[in-house]
Amino acid sequence: MSSPRHIFRLVVAIILSIAAMQSCMKWEYGIVEEFRVTESGLFISNEGNFQYGNASLSFYNPATKVVENEVFNRANGMKLGDVAQSMIIRDGIGWIVVNNSHVVFAIDINTFKEVGRIVNLTSPRYIHFVSDQKAYISQLWDNRIFIVNPQRFEITGYIECPDMTMESGSTEQMVQYGDYVYVNCWSYQNRILKIDTRTDTVVDQLEVGIQPTSLALDCNGKLWTVTDGGYEGSVYGYEAPALCRIDAESFKVEQRFEFRLGDDPSEVQLNSRGDTLYWINDDIWAMDVAAESVPTKPIISSRGTIYYGLTVSPENGDVYVADAVDYTQQGMIYRYSAEGELLDEFYVGIIPGAFCWK
Amino acid sequence: MRILCYILALFVTAIAVAEERTVAIREITVIGHRPMKEMGMQQTKLDSVALKENVSLSMADVLTFNSSIFVKNYGRATLSTVAFRGTSPSHTQVSWNGMKINNPMLGMTDFSMIPSYFIDDASLLHGTSSVSETGGGLGGAVKLMTRPAENRGFGLQYIQGIGSFKTFDEFLRLTYGDDHWQVSTRAVYSSSPNDYKYRNHDKKENIYDEDMNIIGQYYPVERNRSGSFKDLHILQEVYYNTLKGDRFGLNAWYINSNRELAMLTVDHGDDTDFDNRQRENTFRGVLSWDHLRSNWKVAARAGYIYTWMAYDYKRDLGNGTMAHMTRSRSKINTIYGQLDGEYYIGKKWLFTANLSLHQHFVESRDKNIVLQQGGNGIVGYRKARPELSGSVSAKWRPIDRFGVSVVLREEMFGKEWTPIIPALFIDGVLSKRGNIVAKASVSRNFRFPTLNDLYFLPGGNPDLKKESGWTYDAGVSFAVGQDGLYSLSGSANWFESFVKDWIIWLPTTKGFFSPDNIKDVHAYGVELKGNMVVNFAKEWQLGLDGTFSWTPSINRGEKRTPADQSVGKQLPYVPEYSAAVTGRLSWRRWSFLYKWNYYSERFTMSSNDISLSGKLPKYFMSNISLEKILEFHWAELSLKGTINNLFNEEYVSVLSRPMPGINFEIFIGIRPKW
Repeated sequence: MSSPRHIFRLVVAIILSIAAMQSCMKWEYGIVEEFRVTESGLFISNEGNFQYGNASLSFYNPATKVVENEVFNRANGMKLGDVAQSMIIRDGIGWIVVNNSHVVFAIDINTFKEVGRIVNLTSPRYIHFVSDQKAYISQLWDNRIFIVNPQRFEITGYIECPDMTMESGSTEQMVQYGDYVYVNCWSYQNRILKIDTRTDTVVDQLEVGIQPTSLALDCNGKLWTVTDGGYEGSVYGYEAPALCRIDAESFKVEQRFEFRLGDDPSEVQLNSRGDTLYWINDDIWAMDVAAESVPTKPIISSRGTIYYGLTVSPENGDVYVADAVDYTQQGMIYRYSAEGELLDEFYVGIIPGAFCWK
Repeated sequence: MRILCYILALFVTAIAVAEERTVAIREITVIGHRPMKEMGMQQTKLDSVALKENVSLSMADVLTFNSSIFVKNYGRATLSTVAFRGTSPSHTQVSWNGMKINNPMLGMTDFSMIPSYFIDDASLLHGTSSVSETGGGLGGAVKLMTRPAENRGFGLQYIQGIGSFKTFDEFLRLTYGDDHWQVSTRAVYSSSPNDYKYRNHDKKENIYDEDMNIIGQYYPVERNRSGSFKDLHILQEVYYNTLKGDRFGLNAWYINSNRELAMLTVDHGDDTDFDNRQRENTFRGVLSWDHLRSNWKVAARAGYIYTWMAYDYKRDLGNGTMAHMTRSRSKINTIYGQLDGEYYIGKKWLFTANLSLHQHFVESRDKNIVLQQGGNGIVGYRKARPELSGSVSAKWRPIDRFGVSVVLREEMFGKEWTPIIPALFIDGVLSKRGNIVAKASVSRNFRFPTLNDLYFLPGGNPDLKKESGWTYDAGVSFAVGQDGLYSLSGSANWFESFVKDWIIWLPTTKGFFSPDNIKDVHAYGVELKGNMVVNFAKEWQLGLDGTFSWTPSINRGEKRTPADQSVGKQLPYVPEYSAAVTGRLSWRRWSFLYKWNYYSERFTMSSNDISLSGKLPKYFMSNISLEKILEFHWAELSLKGTINNLFNEEYVSVLSRPMPGINFEIFIGIRPKW
């Protein structure tokens, strides 16, 4: 029996060794970095993967060409959340809308530290400031736009959106013209809503085509939106996407530029003067807001890239384009001059989707 | 700790009152024979000891601790998928009593919905070996079987489990048996609010002053929010044996599940504002007939699966009304038929043939929308698809020490056929003394896109190609020992597989996900297994099972865009190393079990970036249990206490999905003697 006993002792020793290995498990928690970035620059909100909570925030200094990634996490010792959808800056505070975390974070744009948060949102997409005391937060899967007091981080009311149910509710980007805020309704929608900011009610709506994806206001008081046309087989319909120019005053479609069926235009953006319009349709396109036809050549051609986000520098007109690559790794930002010359490229977080200039 | 004290008190009381008898410890035998049917195959068999060690475990838990395959666990009592050798969950084909139970819409199987109490026999067919049973198993296949209880007269077993987080598990089995009939009814009911505590390091709570300035922050201790579950399983079995070579069987399994989907660690919503819930009703039934003769056998099976799944995501409008944000429903009806034949010519040849048909009817209703022209419309699809699979094989063992087997399989999904899927297996005895056997195999394989891959709206891609792959296996095994004293066996296996046109769902610029044939993957590595049982002293027995895997799973595709950094990198969420050890120590009617497993760090990004959330730390998990069987003249009682996550480790299997810390459960079982 001695041999089995030796085996037994050996096995007990192995098991005890295994148990001792427990102490090897290590997490890196609570490490906080101090930032003080007073220079201007570009925030990039990286969506991360839906349901994985790996959204992040990057900051790029165009002068030094230095990028800092995961600055929210590094400055605050916590994660940004699940699907960072958009960001705006108002009075030195950055407001980051984190869609599937049901939160809007407010951060100091120099230290990246949190200064507050708005919670209990349904599925927030974009935030628009009406005044210091009032902001609107658009939602997906909700037929209401939330009214919040950003100073108190409180929800103060709702704007009911007509002809929407919770299940089909979708409000997106907002721009303001006078006392009116305009919002495009995207998922299984075809409208732009007009909201009176004095009464917080929808006073008008305009059909523009299936699924308007974004909204911008040019120097002439014209609203620009681009529809994606839906998808083949959709019970809601499938049509050629279109770029629409809408007169904000009369709230009527003035011009409609149709793309080919199956095209995938998105992300209408304006330069700082508001006189040149940019958008993505595989390539990067630009045109004068007074043009009567869309250009035939892009300003930046796709190089096998998957362009997902777009912005134009308010300082010098440089064009920044986000490539989501395979959506599960760091995305790449390409920086081009206004003439289309590649000036820089840098990696950011997973699925860079939105930009915000500081 | 109160629960732990309670367990100890129960044991002490039990010892005082019980009439103890010394019983034989599990007999040790050394197995050296090689069945013709398993010639050259690499498989892991889970016997009833492993399956019934803890009745409250799901098959996901059993596989975690008893096999080399990777179990991706989204939380306690939530989706758990398994993957062989760095492949994806849909590359694992799963059958129950011969009938394929992979969800035809999703391709994968949720192993958290399979109670180990319902499974009497499980085999893992690694890589090429799956071709002997089915197609599509680019990683492998899992065969789950039920068996007659082989009892005579009436039998009853009832086990009540009470555990942490107000978990209640109840198990009932009624059996009847005689020479011809074996009848069994099993039921499992598990419920829990599942609100375990954990320190949330992914977010901080703010402390504000009156002017809403943050004056403090802390990592909150939270409970797992919205993670409750109630699962009911009923399994009815009837077997009839003519004792003249014919056996008939009926297996019917009903599942009713109601599970909340727990909130992420990064969710700042109020759990009372949301209801995120998945419900399922599933019926699976199989009728079987086996006709056995001395040198041939035919078998026929017919089956039916009905699955109704509901996903509801609601939120409180502020007035107590919960409004639907998502209301998704799906229905699956599957009709199944299978014919098998085996024919032996002497002891040197075995020929087999197999033909199976799964006809799916699927209806998916994903969203209710308001149409442009007014009125409502449903976003979804309705499709039917037959899945036909047939194989023939010839196995030849010209001498006792050598065998070779050829399998040819072909499959048809819808109207599309695969080319012939060949598989070749050889095995040979290198040494009879140590039962040293070498095995090698090679096979081609294909996997068709799932119905969601093709038709889901939005995003389904009807132009997808089927995935294809080649797999190579080679290994050596040994078994030594002395009957009644000890046994020692082990195996080492090298594998290599290449998968082309791997299907992956990715976001699109239109805001939804869509699948595409993206990657070419090269997975390779080594699997080691060992088993030892030793009677080291009178009435003492020690058993030890261990597995170790090294599975680099590398993206060998082309760059998706110029910035792509994923080529040449390990696939996300696939651990390069994993290991599991189970130790059993038995003395008379006491048994102590120690289960341990390890997963190396997993990358969360295809580029393997070491960012703050780019990898998940490795983790070691330890569970223990102590069981005592008490024999009375009127009944057999069992008392068992388990401690899971013994060292109270903080760990996750998937980003933002917290796992429970140390937790306890006690079980009291009774088996009346009548």
